[in-house]
Amino acid sequence: MQKLMSILWPSFLVAGIAEGIFFTLVDPQELLLFGEPVHLSRMAIYSLGFFAFWLICGASSLVTCYLRNTSDEVNHHPTHGHPGHA
Amino acid sequence: MTEQVTTKPADLASVPDAQVVKFMPRAEKSSDKPAEDEEVSLYEVRKKIHPRAVTGMFANMRWTFVFLTQALYYGLPWLQWNGRQAVLFDLVQRKFYIFGLVLWPQDVFYLAVILIISAFSLFLFTTVAGRLWCGYTCPQTVYTEIFMWVEQKIEGSRNQRIKLDGEPMSVRKFGLKAAKFSIWGAIAFWTGFTFVGYFTPIHVLGHEFFTWTLGPWETFWVFFYGLFTYMFAGHLREQVCLHMCPYARFQGVMFDPDTLVITYDVERGEPRGARKKGVEPASIGKGSCVDCEICVQVCPTGIDIRDGLQYQCIGCAACIDACDQVMDKMGYPRGLIRYSTEHAVKEHWGRKEVLGHIIRPRVLLYAALLGIIVAGLGWSLLTRVPLMVNIIRDRATLAREVEGGNVENVFRLQIMNTAEQRRKFVMTVGGMDGVSIATTTRFEIDPATTATEVLRVQAPADSGHRGSNPIYFEVRAEDNQDVFVHEKAVFIQP
Repeated sequence: MQKLMSILWPSFLVAGIAEGIFFTLVDPQELLLFGEPVHLSRMAIYSLGFFAFWLICGASSLVTCYLRNTSDEVNHHPTHGHPGHA
Repeated sequence: MTEQVTTKPADLASVPDAQVVKFMPRAEKSSDKPAEDEEVSLYEVRKKIHPRAVTGMFANMRWTFVFLTQALYYGLPWLQWNGRQAVLFDLVQRKFYIFGLVLWPQDVFYLAVILIISAFSLFLFTTVAGRLWCGYTCPQTVYTEIFMWVEQKIEGSRNQRIKLDGEPMSVRKFGLKAAKFSIWGAIAFWTGFTFVGYFTPIHVLGHEFFTWTLGPWETFWVFFYGLFTYMFAGHLREQVCLHMCPYARFQGVMFDPDTLVITYDVERGEPRGARKKGVEPASIGKGSCVDCEICVQVCPTGIDIRDGLQYQCIGCAACIDACDQVMDKMGYPRGLIRYSTEHAVKEHWGRKEVLGHIIRPRVLLYAALLGIIVAGLGWSLLTRVPLMVNIIRDRATLAREVEGGNVENVFRLQIMNTAEQRRKFVMTVGGMDGVSIATTTRFEIDPATTATEVLRVQAPADSGHRGSNPIYFEVRAEDNQDVFVHEKAVFIQP
């Protein structure tokens, strides 16, 4: 749970900032998807855009968390217990 | 065993003593220490904190801020201005309305400046008196306060809540919990609804809600924000401050030895210990602290302020209120826990010296920067011209010869009337001999609307020189000569 939160929360914060900056500079109605204009309302694009940003930032946090695993965790060392991460 | 202290805050005077002395184990003290060479989880399992209700000066101050901020938050979207919502961040139309001001995406500069002002205000307040923001106005504090008030009204005092949580599920427990969760849910829903009301006109939103025609995204965001409020204020509470808030992690760098923080006077308090009411501390060889632990019970983050300044302390001053009440009962002077500074405690300064040290280079610097930025923003807003002009050269044709021996350049013109009235504008061109506009030069534009036109500019072939010639356009409002924009461009002669 702690690990899940440490992926979801920082990515949520950064996605919010990214969303704000991106859509201030870019009008969603001017976006092209595979060369075609996006036939969605601005509200839908803003919302989906936010989740796209969250997903991307979340992927980054996930990789960070994954690489932060200790050597013991990678080795599945039997003698050292990790009470926090069952 | 010595007699237990019988002091209790006034609001709990009716609770039997036996209940008051049953303390919850402190969250941060764990007896099972792991072996040193073992890697351990950085996190401990969270123990639910049941903060005890507190009354007093600082609690009143916090409730004042709860009312002020929430009257503002819930009330603002309902205010009308010029026949529209006074504060509306219209994302669909890409315009922000703030009373008389209409901001366009091009005005993102103002938004950035407002963010900088917020940051410097936070720095200034934090340097002077610690986490004032956290303790009194942060939405996390405010909604937690409201949710805890509901909890206390339904489930009773701290001891009653601890007892209830320990009981197996029963009809009574289910009823109490269901009532609490429903009221929390209603508050959270209203908060989410209000939040979306800042982006979609709230009157429309209200009508859509009651006619069951709310759009899918609006519905989603109402519940998304509502759920966040519910989780943060109802369940996560101090965890948000301890583990999720970035500000909590770096606020310490704004502190210096003259910053007012909530301080336990160790010299006066120690050695702590229980005693009978009215006994002079010196006569029994003890300090003023009666070790009643009420300061720990009222703490929303579950820390013991007597251990010194900790990053977990959100500066809510609940322990000051609580301790002052205990001191009153004991007949000791107030302020064993108080707002004080590191220097003041060390040098035994009085209030006058503490206040005298508020003005210091760091504070002056923050205040000066803040003053300059606020003044700059004010000046910029006052002298703001409610007109924006964009002139972009048409990329398809650089220059072409037209009838009458003239050369023509084509531009794409965007005129944004950011005022709230319909306006007529006249456009002129200059900077080159014989340069003129071949298309219309008069535009009538609706309030807060953009007009896009193709602009054909002509000049005699012998005017200027080959290559780029600087020219300028001027767009001026007919009704107000002060509303004009001077825009540079380039005329190309082949």
